[in-house]
Amino acid sequence: MNAAKTSQGSEPDLGALRQAGQDRIKPRRPFVSVGMGTCGIGNGADAVYAALGAAAAEAGLDLAVRRVGCFGFCAAEPLVMAYRPGKPLLMFTEVKSSRASKLVAALADDAAFDKLAKTAVAKIEEWDFRTSSIEFGKGFNFLPSWNELSFFKGQEKIVLRDCGLIDPESLEEYLGAGGYSGLIKAITSMKPEVVIDEVKKSGLRGRGGAGFPTYKKWEIMRASGGASATPGGEGARKFVICNADEGDPGAYMNRNEIESDPHMLLEGMAIGAYAMGASEGVVYIRAEYPLAVERFQKALADARAVGLLGRNILGTRFSFDIEVVTGAGAFVCGEETALIASAEGKAGRPSPRPPFPAQRGLYGAPTNINNVETWCNVPVIIARGGEWFSGFGTKSSSGTKVFSLVGKVRNTGLVELPLGSTIESMVYGMGGGAGPRKRIKAVQSGGPSGGCVPARLFKTPIDYEELAKLGAIMGSGGMVVMDEDNCMVDVARYFVGFTAGESCGKCTPCREGLSQMLRILASVTRGEATEEDLEVLAELAETARDASLCGLGQTSANPILSTLKYFRDEYERHIKEKRCQAGVCESLYLTLCENSCPMHMNIPGYLQLLKENRLEEAFELTLRDNPLPGTVGRICHFHCRMRCKREQIDESVSQGEIHRYLADTMYKMGRERAVYARLIKEKLPETGKKVAIVGAGPAGLAAAFYLVRLGHDVTIYDAQDEAGGIPRWGIPAYRLPKDVLRKEVAFIRKLGVRFVFNTRIGKDIAWERLAEMHDAVLTCIGALKDMALGIPGEDLAGVVPGYHLLEALNSGEKPRLGAEVVVVGGGNSAIDAARSALRSGSRVTVVYRRAKSDMPANAEELEGALEEGVDLVCMAQPLEAVAGPEGRVRALKVMKMKAGPVDPSGRPSPVPTGESYEIPCESLVIAVGEKVDSSSLTAAGVTLERDGRVSVNPFDFRTANPRIFAAGDAVSGPATAAEAMGQAKLAASAMDKILMGSAEAGLGARFESLFREFAYAMEVPLETSSARMSRAKLVPVEDRRGNFVEISLGYTGEQARVEAERCLRCDVRERARRPFGLGEASRKADEDGSGKSGERRTARAAR
Amino acid sequence: MSDKMVTIFVDGHATSVDPSRNLLEACAQAGVNVPTLCYLKDVSANASCGVCVVEVEGAKSLVRSCVGRVSEGMKIATSSPRVMRARKNAVELLLANHPTDCLVCARNGSCELQSMAETLGVRTVRFPRTRKPAEIDESTDGIVRDNDKCILCGRCVAVCSEVQTVSAIQLAGRGIRTHVATFMDRGLGTSPCVQCGQCSVVCPTGAITERDETEAVWKALAQSGRTTIVQTAPAIRASLGEALGMSPGSLVTGKMVAALRRLGFDRVFDTQFAADLTIMEEGNELIRRLTQGGILPMITSCSPGWINFIETFYPALLGHLSTCKSPQQMFGALAKSFYAEKAGLAPESISVASIMPCTAKKHEARRPEMRGALEYWRAKGEAKPGESYFDVDWALTTRELARMVKRAGLDIESLPEEDFDDPLGRSTGAATIFGTTGGVMEAALRTVYEVVTGKALPSLDFEVVRGLEGIKKAEVDLNGTIVRVAVAHTLKNARVILDEIAAGTSPYHFIEVMTCPGGCIGGGGQPVLIDLEKRLARNKALYAEDLRLGMRKSHENPSVQALYADFLGEPLGHLSHELLHTEYERREV
Repeated sequence: MNAAKTSQGSEPDLGALRQAGQDRIKPRRPFVSVGMGTCGIGNGADAVYAALGAAAAEAGLDLAVRRVGCFGFCAAEPLVMAYRPGKPLLMFTEVKSSRASKLVAALADDAAFDKLAKTAVAKIEEWDFRTSSIEFGKGFNFLPSWNELSFFKGQEKIVLRDCGLIDPESLEEYLGAGGYSGLIKAITSMKPEVVIDEVKKSGLRGRGGAGFPTYKKWEIMRASGGASATPGGEGARKFVICNADEGDPGAYMNRNEIESDPHMLLEGMAIGAYAMGASEGVVYIRAEYPLAVERFQKALADARAVGLLGRNILGTRFSFDIEVVTGAGAFVCGEETALIASAEGKAGRPSPRPPFPAQRGLYGAPTNINNVETWCNVPVIIARGGEWFSGFGTKSSSGTKVFSLVGKVRNTGLVELPLGSTIESMVYGMGGGAGPRKRIKAVQSGGPSGGCVPARLFKTPIDYEELAKLGAIMGSGGMVVMDEDNCMVDVARYFVGFTAGESCGKCTPCREGLSQMLRILASVTRGEATEEDLEVLAELAETARDASLCGLGQTSANPILSTLKYFRDEYERHIKEKRCQAGVCESLYLTLCENSCPMHMNIPGYLQLLKENRLEEAFELTLRDNPLPGTVGRICHFHCRMRCKREQIDESVSQGEIHRYLADTMYKMGRERAVYARLIKEKLPETGKKVAIVGAGPAGLAAAFYLVRLGHDVTIYDAQDEAGGIPRWGIPAYRLPKDVLRKEVAFIRKLGVRFVFNTRIGKDIAWERLAEMHDAVLTCIGALKDMALGIPGEDLAGVVPGYHLLEALNSGEKPRLGAEVVVVGGGNSAIDAARSALRSGSRVTVVYRRAKSDMPANAEELEGALEEGVDLVCMAQPLEAVAGPEGRVRALKVMKMKAGPVDPSGRPSPVPTGESYEIPCESLVIAVGEKVDSSSLTAAGVTLERDGRVSVNPFDFRTANPRIFAAGDAVSGPATAAEAMGQAKLAASAMDKILMGSAEAGLGARFESLFREFAYAMEVPLETSSARMSRAKLVPVEDRRGNFVEISLGYTGEQARVEAERCLRCDVRERARRPFGLGEASRKADEDGSGKSGERRTARAAR
Repeated sequence: MSDKMVTIFVDGHATSVDPSRNLLEACAQAGVNVPTLCYLKDVSANASCGVCVVEVEGAKSLVRSCVGRVSEGMKIATSSPRVMRARKNAVELLLANHPTDCLVCARNGSCELQSMAETLGVRTVRFPRTRKPAEIDESTDGIVRDNDKCILCGRCVAVCSEVQTVSAIQLAGRGIRTHVATFMDRGLGTSPCVQCGQCSVVCPTGAITERDETEAVWKALAQSGRTTIVQTAPAIRASLGEALGMSPGSLVTGKMVAALRRLGFDRVFDTQFAADLTIMEEGNELIRRLTQGGILPMITSCSPGWINFIETFYPALLGHLSTCKSPQQMFGALAKSFYAEKAGLAPESISVASIMPCTAKKHEARRPEMRGALEYWRAKGEAKPGESYFDVDWALTTRELARMVKRAGLDIESLPEEDFDDPLGRSTGAATIFGTTGGVMEAALRTVYEVVTGKALPSLDFEVVRGLEGIKKAEVDLNGTIVRVAVAHTLKNARVILDEIAAGTSPYHFIEVMTCPGGCIGGGGQPVLIDLEKRLARNKALYAEDLRLGMRKSHENPSVQALYADFLGEPLGHLSHELLHTEYERREV
């Protein structure tokens, strides 16, 4: 179509402008372009732009430095593209101004440019603007194409077609990219009804979130107020409005759409106005978007200057103009009627409908309102046809949607994907997950009006209906990713706080309801709520949904309803345990290290006691919290370190090493005896209740430690001939010398616990029989059953399960492994097995199917293994244990893998390359995980999870058989000793309450009497220690061969004190939770003076 | 209005209704009164309270029946568990932030929130208060606002802006901080508020009330050596009965007099006497302006809300106002001058209370210039030094009087009919109809016609200026001179009239303006919860009283005639000017 023909004599020649634009998009000379949306500028794009300009001027080269919109990759701003005629466009991320002269110099000739290409992130060979296309050039086969980058893979840019490639302030470039062809086509060759019909064919639905079919809205509007035959003629006043009042926290796609391609919005509105018979347009945009306002104003002026806007557009009878109204940023002004009120200069409060805006809208005239993105789709639909458009997305939700993907993902930014794509593909694919160390928990879709979708439902396709089914909404496209460090109660509180503040205050269910909902949520986050409060919360939420006047109120409860639905357990933990596992609700934890510690040890407490040189008390504190301090101090994962705030300065405090130091030192000096004597002396009177504990591992020992001190008669049964469980049998002695464990077990025996060894419950004694013999049974069986790989040859001689091997070695056996050992697996058992095999004299290769950085084993253990000479083969998937001549394994056949898209574990999924090879071996150790074997429990009426774990009530650890309780690996599957012991502590408290018939909330006064308050200085160090984390001295690698001597020598006294000084004392603050065991019961007892003061509770903390 | 009826199903029962009706009215037709706290027919369908929700089959959320429209075949559930829960929750939520001082609230017993809680069976409030306490706005003489009791129904805002076009109050703030606010929260006293009190009539709770002055009156009644005089405005006799539980429109003139005597007032007089006097002065003023040249059209000045309005919004047109004081103020000035003299009472020993249908009257009584009697005595050199008093000491509303009657244990229905005291208790039917829109005009015309033409009126009933239509127009032939008159009630309609005058297109000679819908019968001091039916009933009662009274023309009132003969001399004379006329000034807000 020749636009020049339709334009009038005096007006500029659109054809010429278009040509000029094309020459700028793909010039005959080199260019560099800088993405200059607000996001880019915020990351320094303006400085880069200036530096490039200066460098170009200095170099005296004939090249263009272009400003373009945002390409969407916010995590990698500033984004720069470079071009030389005939070559692909090169893309560079996170460009700094200092790189400007090099970039510019590389544009001087082909050779330099080719060299530059090697440093590019990706290339663009051709671009489909949807209304035109352009070929930059081919080549650079070593570079991925832009859409092969994980962030862009699967994206489909229809709305963002021009963004990042054209100058948003250039009408010519928009024309050059095919812009305005839709408008010209519509007003010169299509009847308004035909335009609407095309929109109908496209299946376009409102992108503001509600998803109302756009054509329907247009039809109603066209019919309203008498559709004048001459659109924009002298007929009745009609308005089209663009809702650019983007107000969701974390959503900014509309801002970028206007900033990067303002003419696209203008064209869409003009087409809509033509179709609906409106002659006036209003863009209601929030004042917080100054760049968008500025660029859109310029677009309006430019379009008016060439006759694309104003009276008799392009010489037709269609007249249309647009006014910009800036709103002060009230969330409720996204609601149609409130927006209209605000645009009229009144307070932005919704009014009841009917009348609908199409009947009585702005200044009483029929009015149509569409979201920015809806308008932006229109030009393409008209230019390419509705049918073409409906080819994207699903049947009911056609086209694409732009999302702002933010939160706990590696790649944040604007992604545009076809509707019907799964949440998973966005979060893990484009977003790249949260990394291997953090588990993604949910996405919050649709902003404050939306809901939280849990990770287990990430296979859900993103479309209007599917999201609504889950209790979320598409909304305008905010996608906030949350991981385990996000508290879902706090998330609900945050969003409800937002909406409560933004509620227009007009109607009761919203105004009053939200304020009460917010109050309840806040009380949950403070641990002050009750279960009844949750019922009331749900009721208020439903009432707000049912009875609010406008969309804000009706959807305001979605964050509550969806989190209550999917994360009710978190609410319950806040209420019943007064714990926020995510460590967000600050009145529910002492410190983040304490909160992360499964046993909730008072870490700052013992660090401070050490600083005050009160070693014995420091040890006593750790012992009361953790009956195996020397053991756990050696083998723990040190959950405490993962959230240590010191990490923000340099690295975490090594709380666990100090903990071990305390035990070692006390044991060395024999001073533990005084502490032991104290604990024995303070045992509560005998209750006459008999408790059986099955399994003498960490969980069983911990439960016994507390139960026996509470006065119960405790017997531990174990299938082995010695106590200790996995630390005894599964952990190599070089990590945990067995005498430490034995000493700690001996103390538990001294407290009065009886041990019955060599007895397997379920075989030697039936569970039911055991339950009859006791008042309560606690099963603490471990996860000991090795998992198989399921490959051929696993039954060959020489193929050994990992735990079996470790158990054999710990029993003093010397299995014949041969010279070459292959260990399959990436976890701690695999590394333990590998290092043990190495010590037994073999050469060891660890085979793992993913990358080294994705191995779940402790980093220190892995590094130790490599230092000792263990070989590591990564990206290798075992295919077969290959049999040798005597039926013994002779090699492991593996498939070479490559990194695929990120999977829900947050790591790139291993994808077969098709290339396989063999790794020779005489023994093959399979250490790919263990599971719980609890099948014998079913006979006693205990129900199990599908993977064999025992089902319990999470708050009292009771199984389906009311006499049988369970804790530790039996409940949670393979986990750390600390996690098992943490559960056992709570189980012991719960069992005591049940046995003693107490209905107390929380831990109960009897249980809390087992703890004691230590008074110590509550002061933040005046000067932060500048020391880095101390490392314990290790036995030299060469001295480790052929023996199982403990590697780590532990801290010296000096080291321990220096390390303790590094603690920032996060516990010194208002509203901190009290240390474990010093909770509500003891506080109450203290307050009313009925507490057993004196010896056992010496002093109150100086708070 | 569509003439085609549609069939809807209310709780399963088919009902044929007019499709222009909202669901609330449609359900009422089907015999179900859907409860609401914010809906106010013809004024406010704010849809804010959330109580009137019903379940409409096919609708995703509940529908507010005050704004929902019926359609053919619509199935409505008015009391499903979902509906009941939403309603109860809405009221419970409102109660959470509502003070629990019901027992000592002015609206105890007439509070809509209170009865709604009862209706919906709210027996506990599970929620604590989340709203900050509000300051009480006592910045005006007439109206007290206690936002703590406000449930944000929006009726007051709607009345103020839609009916009165004053917009002194608006909703401000967001979320739980939303409140009914004056400009910058500075209080009504610095706002354009005209103190008409319409907000206090529609308020469902005690958030907006008249400033209660009953305690001061009780005190004066008990004080020995003090002569207490009471005057009652025309509209009171048609509404006091209603305020005390009788049916709307009950006419209780004689019983009211009996009640006032039993309350202990020494003299029970009638503002209607002053109304007749007003007609004498105002009628003559009109004649003078018509015949000797003067600013026309002339506009009545007896409605104090209206005076505040024109002073605030149209100060340039103040010259159009009649200079006559309102009957209340004429009465007060005469009571403490003429009557004091006649009865041999020291003016400072007299207390004058008026019973008014109006909150603006409280303000009017406190206007600094309303000390006519004091000036009279000063001019005579008989005022005691340092003595200062207003002509009218207290203006009580109908509601306040009703409370006093109740407190005294008087059973209005069994009281005897008694007559007003003389001489200031004598009046004509012309004065009675001052209480309703068109009444002042009709009363004036009865007198002016006869004074100008010297002929008796063929009919005393000027039907054309009667009724509750917003603006009524008429032409009267006065001896060949056509006098064009207009009658407007509500300030919205007054604005129309004033805009015409300002534009120079007003065709009228004489205009009556009353502030409140229906005139004083719908005044801001009248019993709460007025609707059109009640206004019509009160209106009817006044015209019945007009007929009942033998005399129906002000100039025939013998007491008025005697007053001129003995005291004032002639209408518009010097003493009239001193005691009965006033001046107006621009009010800045």
